[in-house]
Amino acid sequence: MNKAGGIAIGGGGGVGSGPTTSAAAAAAQKQKALMVRVETDIANIVDNFTHLVNAARINDTPVRNSQEACTMDMRASRMAQAADSLLKLVSELKQTAIFSGFASLNDHVDQRIGEFTQLAEKTDSLLARVGEEAAASLKELETHYYSSAQRTTQTLEP
Amino acid sequence: MDGKLEMSLDKLPVKRLESIEENGFERFPTDIGYDEKQVSLIRRIDFGWAVEKEDEEKKQKKRQKKSSRESSSTTTPWPWKNMVENLHLAHQELSVIIDLINTVEANDAVTVAGMTRPKPLPNEILADLAVSTATKLQCYRNLGKYFKQSAKALEQQVAREARFYGALIRLQQNWKVKRQRVAAIAPGNEGFMIDLFDNSLYDSVAVFQPSSLSTIRIDHNSDGMLAINLPSKSCHSLLFGFLSEHSNAGPKKSNKSKTHGSLENPSKKPEKESLSDNECVKDTHLLLRKVHQTIFDEQVFEMVNRGAVNQSSGLNVTGIQENYVQLCIGPGISIYVSVVPSDQGDQAIDSEDPENLESAAVPSDSFDGVKLAEEKHNSLTKKTSFPNCITCEIYLKQIFHEYIFVEAKGRPFSTSTRMPGQPANDGSGLLSHFCLSLSHRIISNKVLMELENVVCRVPYLHLISHPTWHSRSSAWTIYMKIPPSILHASSQARTPDIQNMKNVKSEFWTKVMVRDDCINIEAEGAPNVVGLFKDSSDDICSTNKYDCNLDDLPVIILQQVASQVIRWLHEEALAVGIKANRDFLCLSFELEQGEILSLVAHVDPEDIQGCISWLLTMEDSFAEEKKLHMNIADGASEYRKFLGYLPLDVLYSTLMDLVSLCGGGSH
Repeated sequence: MNKAGGIAIGGGGGVGSGPTTSAAAAAAQKQKALMVRVETDIANIVDNFTHLVNAARINDTPVRNSQEACTMDMRASRMAQAADSLLKLVSELKQTAIFSGFASLNDHVDQRIGEFTQLAEKTDSLLARVGEEAAASLKELETHYYSSAQRTTQTLEP
Repeated sequence: MDGKLEMSLDKLPVKRLESIEENGFERFPTDIGYDEKQVSLIRRIDFGWAVEKEDEEKKQKKRQKKSSRESSSTTTPWPWKNMVENLHLAHQELSVIIDLINTVEANDAVTVAGMTRPKPLPNEILADLAVSTATKLQCYRNLGKYFKQSAKALEQQVAREARFYGALIRLQQNWKVKRQRVAAIAPGNEGFMIDLFDNSLYDSVAVFQPSSLSTIRIDHNSDGMLAINLPSKSCHSLLFGFLSEHSNAGPKKSNKSKTHGSLENPSKKPEKESLSDNECVKDTHLLLRKVHQTIFDEQVFEMVNRGAVNQSSGLNVTGIQENYVQLCIGPGISIYVSVVPSDQGDQAIDSEDPENLESAAVPSDSFDGVKLAEEKHNSLTKKTSFPNCITCEIYLKQIFHEYIFVEAKGRPFSTSTRMPGQPANDGSGLLSHFCLSLSHRIISNKVLMELENVVCRVPYLHLISHPTWHSRSSAWTIYMKIPPSILHASSQARTPDIQNMKNVKSEFWTKVMVRDDCINIEAEGAPNVVGLFKDSSDDICSTNKYDCNLDDLPVIILQQVASQVIRWLHEEALAVGIKANRDFLCLSFELEQGEILSLVAHVDPEDIQGCISWLLTMEDSFAEEKKLHMNIADGASEYRKFLGYLPLDVLYSTLMDLVSLCGGGSH
């Protein structure tokens, strides 16, 4: 899995700067290898299952029956192993997707940058508006206060 | 075998006479060869007894079966007994055969020609077939169980991986996910980690060292879900506070968001897995954001530290510890910046002393300017002069944020409109700017309080604030406007030939500007106030501009205003045709008898009833000598009369009375 991850990072880095031939070839080769693994595992499972079904026939000799019992255990183990191998392949693919999905990541990052820039500008305009409203309110309140009856009556008092 | 054992004994190897012929010739039997001997020995083995025995046993079995059927209702023999007995017999026979075969094989002369198996009976064939079928069926059942167990385990693994990778992909939308290329990885840990260190911020010199929290490992919890475990108190936050002689403002608390110190494992029930996954991812996002903020706070503190210890910054460092820096920004005023664990901050909020809250941040607009007791004035002076610690902390973070994320990256930013004239692009310059801003804020608060005190006690003054949106400059205007009623009366009282003259100035302003810690006053329509100290107040400037300190500010403002009132009164007197002399705070009229009647302004910032009071003085040509002996405080002197704290309309009417006394004027 480490190797697959390394190849993914290397391939992803190449793709990020522009699809070069070597990166494309490496990616194609990796894809081919993965497909081979998938087909091998699936063929393994089908083949072992076929043998299991074929072993259902009862033979005359007990020796052969015992032999077939051991063979059945072996086939079942191989099937489970192939299934586990497929699951590991899926995990590898997921990790590759995590470390190689630069296009979608970049798009998402750009989108978030745009959103946050917009939010920052909106916040700045909001702050500016708040400041302007505060200044206007302060001026209005000062005007009202100093021309209010309280202040004017105060002027009459000695 | 049975108890009887038959044995056959060979004859002694003595040559026995076989026959004697008549002629006396003895005939002995021919010697038997070794091989023939062995063959003869083998042929002597007789298995007839076994066959007979088998027949007898079969007869016995039949008899037993009959008897068992008859007596089956009463006794229940062990069902496997017959099988065991048969197996024993078969074992014995097999042993004999094996020994025979071994003997035969040991003897090279004799080999087993062939073995014929007795033809099995039909029921035996079916029994064997049934046993084989049952055995195979059992095998298949075991295989079925094995497959079910494997399928269940694989499904669980798939589910766990789906949850883990789903959460990881969602995290990757906002955070940088990396992977360790280490071969020996602990089971269950694929080596994923989240990198919070921003490489694009810093130059190649590596100004900042990566924090210990820059790389966070992603683990699995017991449910296989993504988990991030941080040690307790690993998240820190920046803390800012004031220290002064007046208010013992100790380490107060700034904003502390209630976030988790470590991610809790989702211990939800299985039917709420999807809900817990979302919550788990959300909690992880919050935790990572908290760590991100911690890293930023640590960077800010590091820059503050660096700026403080920089000798060229000119800052006065009064205390420095591992996570604590104290700077002196003014006489008796110090600030401190520290980094504290977030958990400690959360606890400190709850247990904070309410007195500290009062002394920390009381904005000046809550100041009651109508009636003011002196004690309240003093306490409020101490309380309202300090700006809010939270706002200062936010400001500190903001200026460093702009430096770190904007200028270092060379990217234009749109929020610099509020702070024109940003200082030099380095940490020490920013810190100096911050300290100067704080000291300016404190001084401007004090200036504002002094101005409000003055305006409060002089009714015909207005205070107009001018927000500068600059962190190190503030401006106010003290505005005096002659009421329209007085202006109307004035216009009616003027002589016709003077009415064409320019109207009397009815608005006077005095601007007060504070830049950093310098107070600058700009006023119009008064003699130069500074000339007062130089004993030459005759210089008249249309606009004066000068600096002063905080202690002299109220007096200077009041003197400025009083002189403006005197100027207005002087112009009004001139408007009605009376010649009057104007001194700094005195308007003099010369009477017919040579006496000089003066209207004098007296300013006293500490006077509660009013800051500007008026006196009427009478002087004759012989009163010069007595001036030195007059008691100024005695308002009842015959040469001096205290008029009180007169408003403008009373002043005007007083002026008109003085004018009438002078005997001049149109009326």
